[in-house]
Amino acid sequence: MARHDDGVVTVGRSRIGTVFANTGGILFGLVMIFPVYWVLNTAFKPDAEVRSFTPTFWPENPTLDNFRSALGEQHFLPSMVNGLVITAMAVAAALVVGFLAALAIARFAFYGRKAIILVVLAVQLVPFLALLIPLFLMLQGVNLTNTLVGVALVYLVLLLPYTVWTLRGFISGIPRELDEAAMIDGCTRAQVFWRIILPLTGPGLVATSVYGFIQAWNEFIIINTLNDPNHQNLMAWLLYNQTERGTAWGPLMAGAIITSIPVVVFFLIIQRNIATGLTAGAVKG
Amino acid sequence: MQAVDSRPVQAPAPLKTADRSGARRKRDTRTAWLLSLPTLIILIGMLGYPLYRMIVLSFQNMRLRELFSGATPPWAGVDQYAKALTDDVFWGIVARTAAFTVVSVTLSVTAGLGIALLMRRVHAKVRIFMMVAMMFVWALPQLVAAQAFRWLTDSDFGVLNYLFSKVFGDEWLNHSWFVNPWEGWAVITTLVVWAGIPFLAISLSAGLTQVPKELVEAATVDGASSWQTLRNITLPILKPLLTIVTTLSVIWNFGLFTQNWALRDSHPEPVYQTLATYSYTQAFGRSLYSYGSAISVITVLLMLGVMVFYIRQMFKIGEVD
Amino acid sequence: MKRKIAVAAALAASLLGVAACSGGGTDEGATSATGKVDGAGKTIKVWLMVDAETSWKDVVDDASKRFTEATGAQVNVEYQQWANHLTKLDATLAGSDVPDVVELGNTEFSKYVFSGGFAELNKGDFENSDTWLSGLSGACESEGKVYCVPYYAGARVMIYRTDLFDKAGIKEAPKTYTDFLAALDKVQTGNAADKKFSALYMPGQYWYAAMSWVKSTGGEIAKQDGDKWVGQLSSPQSQEGLQRWVDMTKKYSKADPTKNENEQAGIVAQGSAGAFYGNGWEQGVAEETRKDPNDPNSALVPTKIKGKLAAAPLPEVPSFLGGSNLGVTAKSANKELAAQWVKYFTDSKSMEGLVKASALPNASSLMDKAAADNPKLAPAALSAKNSWFPPNAEKWADVEKASILQTMLTDILTGKKTVADGAKWADEQIAATLNEA
Repeated sequence: MARHDDGVVTVGRSRIGTVFANTGGILFGLVMIFPVYWVLNTAFKPDAEVRSFTPTFWPENPTLDNFRSALGEQHFLPSMVNGLVITAMAVAAALVVGFLAALAIARFAFYGRKAIILVVLAVQLVPFLALLIPLFLMLQGVNLTNTLVGVALVYLVLLLPYTVWTLRGFISGIPRELDEAAMIDGCTRAQVFWRIILPLTGPGLVATSVYGFIQAWNEFIIINTLNDPNHQNLMAWLLYNQTERGTAWGPLMAGAIITSIPVVVFFLIIQRNIATGLTAGAVKG
Repeated sequence: MQAVDSRPVQAPAPLKTADRSGARRKRDTRTAWLLSLPTLIILIGMLGYPLYRMIVLSFQNMRLRELFSGATPPWAGVDQYAKALTDDVFWGIVARTAAFTVVSVTLSVTAGLGIALLMRRVHAKVRIFMMVAMMFVWALPQLVAAQAFRWLTDSDFGVLNYLFSKVFGDEWLNHSWFVNPWEGWAVITTLVVWAGIPFLAISLSAGLTQVPKELVEAATVDGASSWQTLRNITLPILKPLLTIVTTLSVIWNFGLFTQNWALRDSHPEPVYQTLATYSYTQAFGRSLYSYGSAISVITVLLMLGVMVFYIRQMFKIGEVD
Repeated sequence: MKRKIAVAAALAASLLGVAACSGGGTDEGATSATGKVDGAGKTIKVWLMVDAETSWKDVVDDASKRFTEATGAQVNVEYQQWANHLTKLDATLAGSDVPDVVELGNTEFSKYVFSGGFAELNKGDFENSDTWLSGLSGACESEGKVYCVPYYAGARVMIYRTDLFDKAGIKEAPKTYTDFLAALDKVQTGNAADKKFSALYMPGQYWYAAMSWVKSTGGEIAKQDGDKWVGQLSSPQSQEGLQRWVDMTKKYSKADPTKNENEQAGIVAQGSAGAFYGNGWEQGVAEETRKDPNDPNSALVPTKIKGKLAAAPLPEVPSFLGGSNLGVTAKSANKELAAQWVKYFTDSKSMEGLVKASALPNASSLMDKAAADNPKLAPAALSAKNSWFPPNAEKWADVEKASILQTMLTDILTGKKTVADGAKWADEQIAATLNEA
């Protein structure tokens, strides 16, 4: 048994095995990252290098033209704004509504609690795309297709079960003794909520809303079916941006990077919670 | 990083002793229901009702004409279901979706577990590199990843063909990856597995930290091989977590849409259709809204077993009290 | 029988529905485009495809200007992408806030006319309507009524590298199909050193091209037999054409058998192709590229093959007549204004503008003048004289959506199916789709 400087206990394993493992690990990392690298590489190449039969592994004449082109495309910035508005509406609504239900499940013993838990768990598993046809007809019936609100409403439903479920976990994590002590001190239930539970759930609210942001930001099938080009988000733009020569890969990859930046940044911030949250019973949309 | 929420949440005991009267309990129940009400209304209105509409729709025959005019579609009985269930194309798609799910989930879970185990054996710096690489892949939006793969495998300008032609010869120069459905599906599966590994490897590697070192050490002292240790100690402890991540992967991969849709440039050929894209194409491409709904209903029914299993599992491991 | 009643009932119901929704005073008969309409304070919404924006925005602006002068109404034009415009249109036409004028591809229109999406128009109100290209107007007509107006057409031509043909000893465009193959042969041999070289770049799912070869041997895609459609690709003539196309493509093309023609100009611009089959305007796209591909006003940059291309009709192969039509939506609240705008946008003056931008005009009477005015357009105008268009079936768009022809072509090109098996499969699929109730 040897204890290496990295603190990993390797039991009766040879040096050669460790070398193999390290090489394998590095190779794995390189293979994983290659497509991401290729997106970056393409985005910084001028068109002549992108559309070339002999691809270069590094932009020989690095340029920002592709980013300019994507940003200048008439639908790009409006789509970005649409995406932000829809996402903000959906996440805010899911947070408010979901928090109340999470509070009920986590802090009250009441008749029907199990049923609600069951519903929240079950609806996370419904393949949402299956409901697209009736949702489309319903929204169209009340003139909410081609609007940002209509899509935000659908995304709210998409996010709500997850929000309830994760926030329930965070609220349950606050020791009940705190509530009880406060109530013995004469706090009402409402005061307990405002002074204890809400502040202590803060990090949970942040994590949940960031996760919700990622889900809503990444969605494109629903919005693309419900809305016309003036009410799209950036993902739909990525799927359908075409020029008279077919796909312009340079600007498309630049657009993909711009679109991904908020997601990647947010994701890296909350990745701890995501890993925990997902396996603790929540579902990635 | 905890993979399984280690603190099983107790059912909240009704608040302390003093006034544990019936009135209090009643009031609690009322407050709780009031708090849950908005959530329930939204779920019923935007999930329950559409579900109902979808089922009704699947017994009608709704076309573009009814969509434009708003007229009630004519009743069609079980025609839509009969049409699907007697159609070889439909069964082919069911079989393909199921086969893809089995293969892709097996590959991703095995790879995820392998990587998780590997991460315990490598140098700390290598481990960080692996983590960073996986984090970027995980964070990448599904559609961006799919478009990236479409670009990598492009027959004219794709880097994959370029690399293959350098290694295996010029016949790969204009190779088209989607002529042969086996190759095409290999690309799609690679994309799905590649994108799925980070979640699996990172969760499972967190789960591995819960395997007591003493047990492993004791087994080794007793002369157990690494394989025996894995089989008899590690895997049994990981089992609940493995079950959950596998079930989730099944649910996600069975609903495959983004990857084959984007890789086939928004019009997948018949061999690249899955249940999700097929239902979508029928409804929104060909304006067969009722037929698309019937396929969706069948899809949900097919998934029901897995979902029930998942929820039961959640209750069983004490995640839900 | 039962089905017929159901269809009739649905038809009646929907007509009532449309009439109720349209709300206009004249819900019977055709919408007139000639009367005096006061459109002051009104704005009509027009959906055109992106081609108008990239190639002839000035024509759109001019027509709108003349329309505004005549009626006082404003015009709001939105440009759509081909990739997803039908899904968008369905969603929008189902609602009440609809565009007043919509452009659709000529093969897409029938489905919408049948489904009650467009209003009836008065054919005589539009200039040159007696010589409209039948390949365009066919889709507009249903039971003697007219529901849309032909907008522009495109015909496919052979676009070839004059330098490579010269080097192979071919001084002028081939006059017969045999000459054409012989020319490809020579060009192929002369460039054998280039591993990526295609004497003819022909992507496998380019069904407009493949079906032209089917037509060249007297074949058909489908024909109507009573009230049923029957697939015709298995007929000996059609199979001969398919075989010709497959033999030629296998021999001379290295293009991806699973791609369509969308990217062909950009790929040919790399210099590794002797010729390709495309719309007249694709010659320009292959020779020059926009500095910023997303900005139709950015500077043009020459490609490797600038000045080395010429176009000619492909001998003995009838061209697919592509193009677009314009319709006034049934739910439009400003049908008369919309029809007036269409009138201006499709009159002789607008057509002159389109010709300048290298699009074919909508009427055969304008064709010779077009060829004279714009020499670049001459091959396409010539090609349009020997052209074909897909079956005028109301569900034809579904055949395209379901990728039936594309799938068959990939299958027979890669040897997965024989021509006979592929054609038989496609015939079954086409019949099932077109005859679907």
